[in-house]
Amino acid sequence: MRLYEFEGKEIFKRHGIPVPEAYLVTTADELASVPDDFYPAMAKAQALVGGRGKAGGIVKVGNREEAANAVERIMSTRLRGYDVASVLLEKMEEVTDEVYVAVTIDRAAHKLVLIGSHMGGVDVETASKEHPEAFHKIWLEPEQEVEPYMGRELAHRMGFSGKQMAAVGGIATKLYKAFKASDGKLCEINPIGVKADGSLVALDAVFNMDTDALYRHPEFKELGIEGGRHEEGELTPNEEKARDAGFPYVDLDGDIGTFPGGAGFGIASIDLIHIYGGAAANFMDSGGAPSQEKLRAMLGLLLDDPKVKVIFGARFGGISRCDDWATAVVQFIHENQPKKPMIMRMTGNMEEEGRRILEEAKATDPELFAKIKVYPYTTPIEEVVQEAIAVAKAEGGGA
Amino acid sequence: MAILIDKDTKTMVQGITGKNAAVHTGLMIEYGTDVVAGVTPGKGGQEVHGKPVYDTVAELKDNHPEVTLSSIWVPARFTRDAVLEAVDAGIETIVIITETIPIHDMLLVRKRAKEAGVTLLGGNTPGLISPGQAMVGMLPVRTFTEGRIGIATRSGSLLYYVANYLDHEGMGESTAAGMGGDPIIGTNFDDLLRMFEADPATDAVVMHGEIGGVLEEMAAPYIQEMSKPVVGYITGRFAPSGKRMGHAGALIEGGLGTAASKIEALEKNGARVAETISDIPRLLKEML
Repeated sequence: MRLYEFEGKEIFKRHGIPVPEAYLVTTADELASVPDDFYPAMAKAQALVGGRGKAGGIVKVGNREEAANAVERIMSTRLRGYDVASVLLEKMEEVTDEVYVAVTIDRAAHKLVLIGSHMGGVDVETASKEHPEAFHKIWLEPEQEVEPYMGRELAHRMGFSGKQMAAVGGIATKLYKAFKASDGKLCEINPIGVKADGSLVALDAVFNMDTDALYRHPEFKELGIEGGRHEEGELTPNEEKARDAGFPYVDLDGDIGTFPGGAGFGIASIDLIHIYGGAAANFMDSGGAPSQEKLRAMLGLLLDDPKVKVIFGARFGGISRCDDWATAVVQFIHENQPKKPMIMRMTGNMEEEGRRILEEAKATDPELFAKIKVYPYTTPIEEVVQEAIAVAKAEGGGA
Repeated sequence: MAILIDKDTKTMVQGITGKNAAVHTGLMIEYGTDVVAGVTPGKGGQEVHGKPVYDTVAELKDNHPEVTLSSIWVPARFTRDAVLEAVDAGIETIVIITETIPIHDMLLVRKRAKEAGVTLLGGNTPGLISPGQAMVGMLPVRTFTEGRIGIATRSGSLLYYVANYLDHEGMGESTAAGMGGDPIIGTNFDDLLRMFEADPATDAVVMHGEIGGVLEEMAAPYIQEMSKPVVGYITGRFAPSGKRMGHAGALIEGGLGTAASKIEALEKNGARVAETISDIPRLLKEML
């Protein structure tokens, strides 16, 4: 999950990495508390997405009036499709040089890696492809502590010498410590500004941390970070509801709601729906052995979402048993009397019990279950996908 | 023959007294897996399905030195501890069923396991099965039939669907293994490809990868060295970037880990890549 720049900088500060003096505002009125001599300043949109500068989310403002205009404009726009949560007004720093330092996980080497480059303040994704030799790396083992010499070595390779080598190296080791202490996935300062007097300041902060480790970081709660965010973008209302009910959910643009059981098939079902000519409305994942409440909440989201024309469901019972799944589906149908068709398949552990539960419910109220189909093991899943697509089209779906 | 597990493998369960672990221990025994005992710290002396529960893995090993494989079902926050305990007690193969293990914990246990020569499967794997012999984990066993195809996948549910399609087409598995859906997992694809290449009971391999990470790209060059055909299947072609798709590992980050890059790497190195699940048995038949 990604932190906002101001949250990342708060963590930087706690680890001794210098950041510009700043105010966080959401309205122009709040600028009243900013003294006049604070300007010139940078007004920076706080959104969970990269490339904010190019998208017009970062502007220089010379005085309060310009700041007020910038705040109003930025707060009223969406940045590369994502909401702006607030504006960070930062004191303008005069810098003579900009460099890049980051820490991340090398998923090929299974190590942690400290990265530095004199190419700061640019699009690093592109720069590192075009000039890989300008991006210096020091790998650390998972149990290894970062030592000051590693920071100096990195800074030396980046072209620094003398006191600056120690200063840049110091920031690199502090960043590494912040990364380790926060269960980081990626911590990036792009750029670190080098001022005329040789001092350094972190002008930006990218901070992605491991959602699965959030439980051991009460300090994030103090910052108001409750967890369950994307790497890119805030959660949509559906995604928030799902997070609160305890399951992953990603909103997509199509009209076929997917209720897929495991994550792996959830991902595959989105592909299959596209390949066979439909479009999925969402991704979701029940996780292993979901509770009845969770399964009903998953179906509820799809039922309430007007863009969903049909619910495609699949259960391959492993740890998540078919009888539990069938019970949840039947109870959901009784409680909600859904009008949307549900085209599903259920197989795996406890399949006979699950099928008996579904058939008894259907026999009791055939009309209620008229638009609900649950196919067995012998029906290939891709046939069920194709039927769901056909039903979505019959219900007036797009594509 | 098979890989990783067969009818003679002596196994244990860590966290055996937990609700899911106890249920699935019963299903493993019913399938024929030789489950010798279990461990839950503080619950030594109890029994689960007639199998003794010990307080520590070392104590279990003292009493049952023949045990070589452990499956781990403890909550995510205790998984690092449980894996290291098994590694230090001399267990040879560890299957981590637990999901959502912190990445930094997995980096550490993966390294410790490698140094000790331990094979680590997972986290977030549904387990593994050598049909007709033994199953460890929570797999719906009836889907798997004895046969000569090896399966390695990053997803539990896809493992079931692939086996289901092989079954529809009259094929079965030598061994089917879930590698786990987490971003850092114990085994690389090429580790399993090497085992299947060496296994006389396996004629061809299906490898299912998904978006996120570089394990598929890393394994691809080895496919050229293999005598056995490999059918690849890569999911997440239509997944948005920057969103974690359920599996913590299934995330396109900074343009890395896309389906296109994985498909290209596999095809370049001689694998045939299936577009749908139903393509998999068709391609296998063409290649065998």
